[in-house]
Amino acid sequence: MRRLAYVASAVLLLPSLTLAAEASKNVTAIVGGTLITVGPQGTIEKGTLLIKDGKVAAVGKELTVPAGATVIDAGGRYVMPGIVDAHSHTAIEDNVNECTDSVTAEVRIADVIDHRDINIYRELAGGVTTINVLHGSCNAIGGQNAVLKLRHGKEPEELVFKEAPRGIKFALGENPKRSNFQVPGQKRYPGSRMGVEVVIREAFLEAKAYRREWEEYQKKLAAAGAKGEKPVAPRKDLRLEELRDLLDGKVLVHAHCYRSDEILMLIRVAEEMGFKIRTFQHVLEGYKVASEIARHGAGGSTFSDWWAYKMEAYDAIPYNAAIMASKGIRVSLNSDSDELARRLYWEAAKTVKYGGVSEAEALKMVTLNPAWQLGIDKRVGSLEVGKDADLAIFSAHPFAADTRVEMTLIEGTVYFDRAKDLASREKPVEKHDQKDAPKGGAQ
Amino acid sequence: MRLPSFTAVLALSAAALTAAEAPIAIRGARIVTVSGPTIEKGTLVLAGGKIAAIGADVAVPAGATVIDGSGKTVYPGLIDGLTTLGLVEIGSVAGSVDTAEAGDVNPHAKAWVAVHAHSELLPVARANGLTAALAAPQGGLVSGQSALIRLAGSTPDALTVKTPVAMHVTYPTGRAPFDFSRMFDEPELKTFEERQKERKKNQEKDLRRLANLLAEAKAYGAALEAAKSGKGAPPKPDLPMEALAPVARGELAVIMRADDEADIRGAVKFAADQGLKLVIAGGLEAWRCTDVLKEKAVPVLINVDRLPRKESDPYDAAYANPGLLFKAGVRFAIVSDDASQSRNLPYEAAMASAYGLPAEIALRSITLSPAEIFGVANRIGSLEVGKDANLVIATGDILDHRTQVTGVFIDGVAQSIETRHTRLYQQFKDRP
Repeated sequence: MRRLAYVASAVLLLPSLTLAAEASKNVTAIVGGTLITVGPQGTIEKGTLLIKDGKVAAVGKELTVPAGATVIDAGGRYVMPGIVDAHSHTAIEDNVNECTDSVTAEVRIADVIDHRDINIYRELAGGVTTINVLHGSCNAIGGQNAVLKLRHGKEPEELVFKEAPRGIKFALGENPKRSNFQVPGQKRYPGSRMGVEVVIREAFLEAKAYRREWEEYQKKLAAAGAKGEKPVAPRKDLRLEELRDLLDGKVLVHAHCYRSDEILMLIRVAEEMGFKIRTFQHVLEGYKVASEIARHGAGGSTFSDWWAYKMEAYDAIPYNAAIMASKGIRVSLNSDSDELARRLYWEAAKTVKYGGVSEAEALKMVTLNPAWQLGIDKRVGSLEVGKDADLAIFSAHPFAADTRVEMTLIEGTVYFDRAKDLASREKPVEKHDQKDAPKGGAQ
Repeated sequence: MRLPSFTAVLALSAAALTAAEAPIAIRGARIVTVSGPTIEKGTLVLAGGKIAAIGADVAVPAGATVIDGSGKTVYPGLIDGLTTLGLVEIGSVAGSVDTAEAGDVNPHAKAWVAVHAHSELLPVARANGLTAALAAPQGGLVSGQSALIRLAGSTPDALTVKTPVAMHVTYPTGRAPFDFSRMFDEPELKTFEERQKERKKNQEKDLRRLANLLAEAKAYGAALEAAKSGKGAPPKPDLPMEALAPVARGELAVIMRADDEADIRGAVKFAADQGLKLVIAGGLEAWRCTDVLKEKAVPVLINVDRLPRKESDPYDAAYANPGLLFKAGVRFAIVSDDASQSRNLPYEAAMASAYGLPAEIALRSITLSPAEIFGVANRIGSLEVGKDANLVIATGDILDHRTQVTGVFIDGVAQSIETRHTRLYQQFKDRP
């Protein structure tokens, strides 16, 4: 029954969403709030932000609000760019891992997006607007990622951030060697960190051979054209196609890792094979080899303070983000969790506590830095003219102890509005309680 | 760098240790007593491990070590009312995990036997202001008995504040416990109704089992008492029954883990029928059961940072839970229900305060409230004269992530706030 009530309330909300979408074609003005732009304009008190056609049209102190604009009063509130979560498994239900092989570069997260996942809405309510949905860490080379905008209520295709570059998940250490998840009767290579290196090296040697094979075929084809011959094409291999594109710089590598030795290993293999690692994910010992990561040019997407849940997380320290940032690494704080994703703004605040990161830099770690890591920083991650109007409105400074997200917009459309959410709770709980409770129920 | 100076803290700690008997005065600090009004600028005197004086116009005793508290806020030491601290070091390493015994019924398993005083997790929790925690066993139907530990000391005995605090029981849900080795089995083809029926059957069976155990324990306890007063021979030694007897008599509290509304209501009813002293742990849907929790005066140990139970639940159900319990007059403490994440306890309280719980109650729910629930409020949980000198000195609001803890005292002794983490930080921060 309650589920029905929920569906009903969702349907009731739809007209208002449609209206908002139409209004955003014109102009929306967010007025009176403190604008934390995370861009060159810094923080603007009592500022105005104008949105036109889903883009930020103007940001400033004394802007004229055009007549007929939809006005959102943010007086006393804080406006920041929508949060970008560089490591998520939201909206793919149980389709996280294709676990049966050590290399599964051919599988695509974009094929299994569950747009009805309620966590999309819950994360919007934590100010998140963009997520990097990654394959799991079951294999040394996992599947292809999907970057999503949390357009709750839309079809899977409409969630996909189409302009985001392609990406792929790698994984090192305990997870690909299956040390904590031994399936009875199933033993899979690799079973050690030595094997993880071999799997990756072999895969890229194969990919290079595959690339050569196709190049030779193309040459033969060009030569044959004149003679009228028909050379036989090599067999198409979806797995190697992806790795070939990766070698050609078309795919961003997001490598799950923990220990410093395996981080160095992947840098070595990548530099030898001729590809770049875009991000080290988790990278809990990144602080031990921060200079090497910085030299390679990779970003680091880490947990603020998770530790001790497994052997390779025993040397994890909450100062990791601060140390990596101090060596010039672009650092983001991710969730890897539907629950933690809803309070990433506070994960950022922890870097102020642990290692003295400035508040401005800390905010970048959940906005502009993850956007760069996903190759979408020209579009999202800060409130700048021309960028997508993805933003969250907080009741207080995002780091304050009693702060709360009041409203979340994606490209000018309101996807979360706490006031509306509260109003739409049409007391299904009371109905439920009346059945069991002797005196009318509680809440 | 806002990091507190370790050398200063160490020096302070050394001074405190050598002059353990000399009183310590923290002067000019904002003092949040929790039990009474906050003193905006006051002095707090610690002597003999207790709080000797507290107030705006308290004189510093002669010979006291003086700590300048200006610009700082002093709080009672935080208490995490449900953890596995000391019972687990590294979650995935079996050799370092002592949270659960084999089998289903282990009332005689005692946390304080296995609490590891040298765990790296204890100083980490302490460095963020925690001075006490409930170390509790987990798993099975009857998990064992918990201990309230102080986060200082080099032996299990030295850690112990109170034992036993409670018997830990998982309210039977009737669902098979998660078994990784069976995860890849072919699923059995059953209808929803068949599954529900099976679940109910299992649940009833487990509840009967629990009721039988309690009845047996009561009889065992009675026989034991009778033998003590010279009436009949003592019963054959039976450690599980001996451990359960005070629970069955309603003397020792039972902390029952239950999250669903039906399970919480079930637990409250079961406890009332059996005459048990009940505390609910988990309590994800406690906000739906405030009527019975209030009526039967059942306190709840809540972990705030959780997803709602059902898709149709309000997105903030878990965040708003403490606020709703407070409004309804149900007693509760906010807990981490973890070990390595225990240090984030103040931020769970902060989340509750962002979603409806008054900030001062949020602070109370991680200090005085758990002390009351565990029956130790006469000793810890607030800053009052005569109480144990467990306190935290912070640079600001302890619920704010940006605040630094600069000092921790347990029983009047300054504790090091160096941790495995600060050591690794020092070791690697300047590596070229």
